[in-house]
Amino acid sequence: MNGPRASSVALRRARPLLGTLVEVGVCGDGDAALHAACDAAFDAVAQVQRALSRFDADSDIARFNALAAGGRLDLQSHTATVLSAARQLFVDSDGVFDVSLGSAPTGWLLDGTMLHKLHADAHLDLGGVGKGHAVDCAVQALRSAGVAGGWVNAGGDLRSFGSATVELKLRDERRGGVVDFGRLHDGAFATSCFAAGARSRLTASRRVSTHSHVSVAAPSCLLADALTKVVAASGDPRHPLLARADAQAWLH
Amino acid sequence: MSRGADAAGVVVTLASALALAPTSAFAVDYLSADEAAQLMFPQADRFESRTVAFDAGQLQRLQAAGVSPRSARWQVRVALRDGATLGYVVVDDVIGKFELISYAVGIGSDGAVRQIEVLSYRESHGYEIRLPAWRRQFVGKDASAPLRVGDDIANISGATLSCSHVTEGVRRIVAMIGLARQLGTLG
Repeated sequence: MNGPRASSVALRRARPLLGTLVEVGVCGDGDAALHAACDAAFDAVAQVQRALSRFDADSDIARFNALAAGGRLDLQSHTATVLSAARQLFVDSDGVFDVSLGSAPTGWLLDGTMLHKLHADAHLDLGGVGKGHAVDCAVQALRSAGVAGGWVNAGGDLRSFGSATVELKLRDERRGGVVDFGRLHDGAFATSCFAAGARSRLTASRRVSTHSHVSVAAPSCLLADALTKVVAASGDPRHPLLARADAQAWLH
Repeated sequence: MSRGADAAGVVVTLASALALAPTSAFAVDYLSADEAAQLMFPQADRFESRTVAFDAGQLQRLQAAGVSPRSARWQVRVALRDGATLGYVVVDDVIGKFELISYAVGIGSDGAVRQIEVLSYRESHGYEIRLPAWRRQFVGKDASAPLRVGDDIANISGATLSCSHVTEGVRRIVAMIGLARQLGTLG
């Protein structure tokens, strides 16, 4: 185990964002500076939410979904970053990871920051990567504010950095309560639940059968978040994409 | 103990071989209500506590505006500077499938939401959280009597936690403050 435990944590705050609870924890000195750093992290998450949420009519995603075929949209940088990663994941996973959720996987085209709608049926939903990207942006905001260590947890998509090591607990989606899983240092961890009635849905034909939870550790939270979907949809906890992304998956 | 992926510097040390057997409760206290009020209105030189009580007709007005009032009496912290009202802070709690969330809403003197901060989070077994007695032990709780369950620095990873109850609660509080301002009961 590298680095000290997060018991040196100085401040934890949480706000309702991204449709879930977003928690920020920071280690260090100076109350005012740490509060300001947390504020910056929450602002970063809110900015990603405004760009990516399909529930926000002014977001890039909602505006794209409302476009007619042949239309195009100049994107905010967050949206372009996430869609570019999503396109790469689509190719690398042989189409398993699909932010069009099966509506029209090749019905959209990203050219720089210009997003083209090629097919009328193409609807995008960045629920599978957006939260992870928001966590990465919040961690970047904390680093930029000079925070030595900390973490950001958006409803189970979490990342720790610097001097912080966080205890991981997994929530039992069916019966409630939490169980100890392990500790995370300098990396990201995400869990998706695919049990009946869960919020996460799969559109692929092959899928996790005997297990309902997929957890992935990866260098970035965007990758951890996205790869839970790849593992669940492929049913393969040793999917080759994991090794390429320096990630590891668990089914439970 | 076994070590997970660390090829890219990610280190996950597993608690056990994923023996996800007995579940435990989990709780975090983030801020006290007073700390949240100070964060929301740093310019305030004092906070005054007021009780807002609505009669049946007023509750019906709230209902007509599309919010279920839930309670006829609310405690409101009024943020003041040199006697002038800067805004209001209201603390509330909501119950979800397995969780109880206490939160504070800061509302400016214009009636708009300024900030929402979560004060505490409790996660438990479903059957525990549905028992009213379990819930009562958190009502009226303050920072002088924190209930800490489980590891204080843990992070939950799961998928279905939804803040829709908080969103509903915030809407209710905004409507309640709006009506109280109209009625002049906040001074």
